[in-house]
Amino acid sequence: MDRQQPQTGMYYICGSANCRARNELKQRDAIKCTACGYRIMYKERTRRMVQFQAR
Amino acid sequence: MHGPTATAAASAQQHQQHHHSHPHADHPSATSTSTSTKMRVEDEDEIAMAKRRGEHAQLTRPVSELKDKWQLVPAFLKVKGLVKQHIDSFNYFLNVEIRKIVQANDRITSDADPTFYLRYTNIQVGAPTAEEYYSYATSPPIAPQQCRLRDMTYAAPITVNVEYMRGSQKIVRDNLFIGRMPIMLRSSNCILHGKSRAELTKLGECPNDPGGYFIIKGVEKVILIQEQLSKNRMIIENDRKGIPGASVTSSTQERKSRTNVVCKAGRFYLKHNTLSEDINVVILFKALGVETDQEIMQMIGFEDMYQQAIAATFAESIEHGITTQNQALDFVGSRVRLAKRAWGGARKSKVDEARELLASIILAHVPVHKYNFRPKSLYLALMVRRVILALNEALPVDDKDYYGNKRLELAGQLLALLFEDVFKKFNTELKKVTDLTIPKQRATQYDVVKKFRPQIISDGLTHAISTGNWTVKRFKMDRGGVTQVLSRLSYISALGMMTRISSQFEKTRKVSGPRSLQPSQWGMLCPSDTPEGEACGLVKNLALMTHITTDDEESNIARLAFNFGVEDINVLSAEDLTRDESYLVFLNGLLLGVTIHPTILVRAFRMLRRDGRLSHFLSICPNDRQRCVYIASDGGRVCRPYIIVDKNGPKVTNTHLERLAQKVLRFDDFLKLGLIEYLDVNEENGANIAMYESEIKPYTTHLEIEPFTILGVCAGIIPYPHHNQSPRNTYQCAMGKQAIGTIAANQYVRFDTLLYTLLYPQRPMVQTRTIELIDFHNMPAGQNACVAVMSYSGYDIEDALILNQASLDRGFGRCMVYRKQTVSIKTYPNMLVDRIVAPTRNRDDSSRLAKFDVLDQEGICRPGERVENGSTLVLKETPVNTSNPIQDPHNAAVQYKPAYVSYKGPCEGVVDKVLLTNNSEDNHLIKILLRTTRRPEVGDKFSSRHGQKGVCGLIVRQEDMPFSDIGICPDIIMNPHGFPSRMTVGKLMEFLSGKAGALIGKFHYGTAFGGDKVVDMSKILVEHGFNYAGKDFVTSGITGEPLSAYIFFGPVYYQKLKHMVMDKMHARARGPRAVLTRQPTEGRSRDGGLRLGEMERDCLIGYGASMLLLERLMISSDKFDVHVCRACGLLGYESWCQYCKASSSMSILSIPYASKLLFQELQSMNIVPRLRLETC
Repeated sequence: MDRQQPQTGMYYICGSANCRARNELKQRDAIKCTACGYRIMYKERTRRMVQFQAR
Repeated sequence: MHGPTATAAASAQQHQQHHHSHPHADHPSATSTSTSTKMRVEDEDEIAMAKRRGEHAQLTRPVSELKDKWQLVPAFLKVKGLVKQHIDSFNYFLNVEIRKIVQANDRITSDADPTFYLRYTNIQVGAPTAEEYYSYATSPPIAPQQCRLRDMTYAAPITVNVEYMRGSQKIVRDNLFIGRMPIMLRSSNCILHGKSRAELTKLGECPNDPGGYFIIKGVEKVILIQEQLSKNRMIIENDRKGIPGASVTSSTQERKSRTNVVCKAGRFYLKHNTLSEDINVVILFKALGVETDQEIMQMIGFEDMYQQAIAATFAESIEHGITTQNQALDFVGSRVRLAKRAWGGARKSKVDEARELLASIILAHVPVHKYNFRPKSLYLALMVRRVILALNEALPVDDKDYYGNKRLELAGQLLALLFEDVFKKFNTELKKVTDLTIPKQRATQYDVVKKFRPQIISDGLTHAISTGNWTVKRFKMDRGGVTQVLSRLSYISALGMMTRISSQFEKTRKVSGPRSLQPSQWGMLCPSDTPEGEACGLVKNLALMTHITTDDEESNIARLAFNFGVEDINVLSAEDLTRDESYLVFLNGLLLGVTIHPTILVRAFRMLRRDGRLSHFLSICPNDRQRCVYIASDGGRVCRPYIIVDKNGPKVTNTHLERLAQKVLRFDDFLKLGLIEYLDVNEENGANIAMYESEIKPYTTHLEIEPFTILGVCAGIIPYPHHNQSPRNTYQCAMGKQAIGTIAANQYVRFDTLLYTLLYPQRPMVQTRTIELIDFHNMPAGQNACVAVMSYSGYDIEDALILNQASLDRGFGRCMVYRKQTVSIKTYPNMLVDRIVAPTRNRDDSSRLAKFDVLDQEGICRPGERVENGSTLVLKETPVNTSNPIQDPHNAAVQYKPAYVSYKGPCEGVVDKVLLTNNSEDNHLIKILLRTTRRPEVGDKFSSRHGQKGVCGLIVRQEDMPFSDIGICPDIIMNPHGFPSRMTVGKLMEFLSGKAGALIGKFHYGTAFGGDKVVDMSKILVEHGFNYAGKDFVTSGITGEPLSAYIFFGPVYYQKLKHMVMDKMHARARGPRAVLTRQPTEGRSRDGGLRLGEMERDCLIGYGASMLLLERLMISSDKFDVHVCRACGLLGYESWCQYCKASSSMSILSIPYASKLLFQELQSMNIVPRLRLETC
């Protein structure tokens, strides 16, 4: 088993209602939107297909 | 006041005038005037005209009803009520009281340097800001929603202006930061203040959120309203032996103390905890400078009753040989309990000490200027007099439970106490540092400003609010549980928490007095909303229209009273006070003076108050029994508004109400115009209040605005509560808080630890006015279910409900459960940091482990992914070594251990959101929101709005459900046995109103003491071809035959309660055991065993099932084989006894592990348990 550290960061969406900019964040980056300086970020939704049970 | 004895003729005339004035109220000339003052003048003209003509006219027309009088309630709620009292009180603290506190403690001096001083000239509290910025001035304002998400404190910087000495230089500096003040939401300093609904939404806030709470480290905290006996008032009460005594709890800025006048063996004593023994009151009078016995008698009263009662006390003082003030002071001084001596102060003589004690500690609230003890001696005399009156049963003892004797302490007052304490601590720390630093010679001059330690104030305030422990040493105050986490279970529970009042009584005491409903609580507190069980009656809730006063300036009130003929006690002889015709006038518990015209005084004060010249919350009421007039302007009194009624009827007319509807007039204008006034409990007692206009009599003084306002928020949800048995309403008040529904408009962005929401919430078909007023119809918690009251199968006994499967498929009762997981990335003392690693891959096919399936390459789960029990959400690792310093923190050799965060739940969930942020404590904070959707299942709990709860007993397919002749199938079948014993007639009426409303497409009202009438509902039903009683012809779905009875059928609002089987279901065969005892663990969360408790054990013993007992208590629990030495009876090794040093006599024995543990613990305490083995 090998452990690979991510080379590139993940994308996060700024939590500010009027910004919503896409930011790339790496492991130890400060959490701050580059566009507006807001400090709350949301993870992007998975791109895998998700199937729900319609019950 | 009008007495009921007013002559019939006069009353008849008044009535006539009243009737006559009404046709003219609708006259166009009256409505066309725009200014309200003008209108009043015209009204008066009309009255005069009516008077002239009224003598001849035959007037039989009934009093015209005030239309839509209830509209005053929403107008009131806009400015006052519900949570406004919290906000008002906090605003008062921020804008007024904090200044007073700083003014009282404005100077710091140093013992080291007599020229040094620091003086605070002003204090300001700003707008809330984020903590992360170095300087408070540059940091931008922060929204409360951000604080919630980032686990921060919603607090604003406190800054001061100072003037101080730096060396020999006087320096003036402004806006120095001294700490952070947690800010109440929607208060004057909150950024939400005065924002529109759209602006609030933009800030991520729910527009319907009431505010009035704090956000401390991301947690919403409410400072509950505290109920207390009022301060500075004399209370006559019986002691344990039934002998009356007077007591006063004095409370001033400096100290709090309790003074009692007691009667022991026919003599009167003063009791105080600074005195080592009780002191004869006559001696005390002498110490207060009333030396002649005659004057003492004059003060207390000359009548025989008083003379006889006090004779023994005089005799005792003579035995002590005390006649002069000095002797008396010496006597008192030698009985002072030795307090901690103030440092450096020279020891005072006994006489001085006694004088000081009398001036500032005993009856501390009575001010003593320049050792003028007269007010104090008169107050003491009054206490003695009242005790004598109570002893002779001339006056009843006071009722401690009477609500006029209570004061409610709100957030502002509590924070003021706390702030003063931390501010004093801040200053003493500063002084300590100054005293230490000034003597040292330094290159730079000592600058006191640089020694400010803002943490003292910030931490002091936040810590108290977050723990709820209020400790103020100065007042010997140590209260716990003052704050609580705001319950966000439902909108109602949050709102209900803001109106909650907790009292200081111990819950264990079995006294009924404080718990029972007091008549004086009428209209002020909700009669229904109280918990069941130990806190019953001690935790109360405010009614809809209640307001709690804040402190008011009293100096001008005193001056006004003197102007109205009150004579100052300092200029009167003692006898004038006890005269029959004189009334004592009190202002906030202080004896102000004497008047012989109490009625004039009271009327004048009330007139000025109605005119707006005095505070609207001032209360003045005469007490004819005690011959006193009490004026109150203090904070914490409960009051509510009433329409003023004079001889012309209610002052509010339809014209006014029209203007209110047109938004020309607001509630405050009604106050200013003198149409409405606030009455507190004491004044309400003397008023004659008509419930309805038809009940107005000549002696009526006020008219109720709307009767339904006597109920609180939770009881306001209930339709037709006046038709229900009272405890049912109380049950509903408790259950409404557990109903799943909409909690706030921003519920999906809030990241609550646990959030229940309904998928398809509906507003109730049968509404109440309260529902509209508190916006419940916009944040509903329930659904309108079609209910058939009938029996079906056997699965509906004991209140169980039968649910229609098709309804569940369509989404009835479907709810979502959100759960939050927080992961914080910490930095340890040795600078090592937690880390999140990428998931491992299998080397052969590079596939991931199944439990790492939802993680992305960063090691955090992705939103939208489905998780099951055991799925890892965050691959966090913590360093093994967190304390010892490490040279290179980035070295690869640093050892980490896994601290994976994984999902644990009964069913599959979905990652809803993942939030990353940081705050001052954690540099990284990850919050994961998990969502599960649940459909109702057998065992889930439901309830209507009438305290009728039940669990789902069976889910039936729609085909098997009964149906009516127009094809309606019920969603819920309820067993009719739920009705006879519960007597919830309101629910029956909800059926009818709901059904009628559904037929004509209208929401009907079930407002308390009003609402739509059953007759009208029946009429609608009949018009639409239904039975007037709401019963339908129903066909069985199983047999296809009509049922032999007509079934009561209709829509009822049903709430789904948060108790669901999925969260409670638990069973285990084998499982984890506790480490210490090796017994099965306890509780569902630890997959624990099911306990066979003492009572079950008793049954087995009684039955004699010894083998079953053995199995349950040992074999299935903590069976353990021990080796016992038959010789010494101690435990040993396998075939070796360490005590006997022998292996010859060892036996194996099965005992519970817990008992083996006990033996060893006993041995460790030097007790030797020996086992004696016998063959059987």
